[in-house]
Amino acid sequence: MTSDRYQHISDSALLENFYSDKNNQWLGILLQRYTLLLFGVCMKYLKNEEEAKDSVQQVFLKAIAELQKYRVEYFKSWVYMVAKNHCLMKLRDRQGRSPAQLPEQTIGPEEDIESKENHLNKDRLLDAMTAALDELNKEQKQCVTLFYLEKKSYQEIVDNTGYTMMQVKSHIQNGKRNLKILMERTLTNK
Amino acid sequence: MNNDLINILSNSNKDIDNQKLMDYLAGKLSAEEKHEIEKLMADNDFVNDALEGLGEVNNKKIQDIVDQMNMSLQKKLKQKKIRKEKRRLKEYPWIYLAIAVILVLIVLAYYIIHRLESGQ
Repeated sequence: MTSDRYQHISDSALLENFYSDKNNQWLGILLQRYTLLLFGVCMKYLKNEEEAKDSVQQVFLKAIAELQKYRVEYFKSWVYMVAKNHCLMKLRDRQGRSPAQLPEQTIGPEEDIESKENHLNKDRLLDAMTAALDELNKEQKQCVTLFYLEKKSYQEIVDNTGYTMMQVKSHIQNGKRNLKILMERTLTNK
Repeated sequence: MNNDLINILSNSNKDIDNQKLMDYLAGKLSAEEKHEIEKLMADNDFVNDALEGLGEVNNKKIQDIVDQMNMSLQKKLKQKKIRKEKRRLKEYPWIYLAIAVILVLIVLAYYIIHRLESGQ
């Protein structure tokens, strides 16, 4: 799927290579890593194979053009945003409405609370997490516990709880987000 | 269990293995591997959106579609490269031509000035 002989080179190293010798082939290798994911994202929004394929090609072209203009630090998040914006624009053309566009140039890394937590005592951290977990609403707590602590799959949680797949996913995602907010609040208060 | 609780908030920044994702869609993964992918989905909107979208495409077709798109990407990159090289070739003759013209002018100017001076 991806060119195997380049597998050991990280995304940022490929970009660095491109910025230093301006050879498009580096971008080719980098973009191909994300063809599958980009196609999936376009399918999710556009729900049409031909349109999705077409959109991936346009995202490729846009990425090649934009990367020559400015430096991108976090390629994965950036290219996801480019694809999502492209799909939202297509949907807007279809419906004549204008959804908000997300800014592409201000994308940071995926946040990780762990670094902050590393400075804290593990026991205190555990207490804080347990307390935070208790503060979640019933559905979120249930889904987060089943998923992260009991390592159930999405499908098993659907079967166990009677929620739909969509609900399970959003309870897990929102639960995790709320946990993070609660933890950050606890950490800054200390 | 305790570690699992703390690990809820640590985002896995692992590289995404396309083959694993395909196997996930095809239902070929063990329970443990499946959970790993789903954790990635919960952490990462990109993966989550992608797998939701890919779920709507016939599994057997996905690989062909991806290969097709990669091929046309390669083609486009090659075209761009050729265009760039052509431009370079076209640019150079101009430079040589300009240098030649300037040299001829200098020689001519020298010759004319010399003739004018010796005529006086």
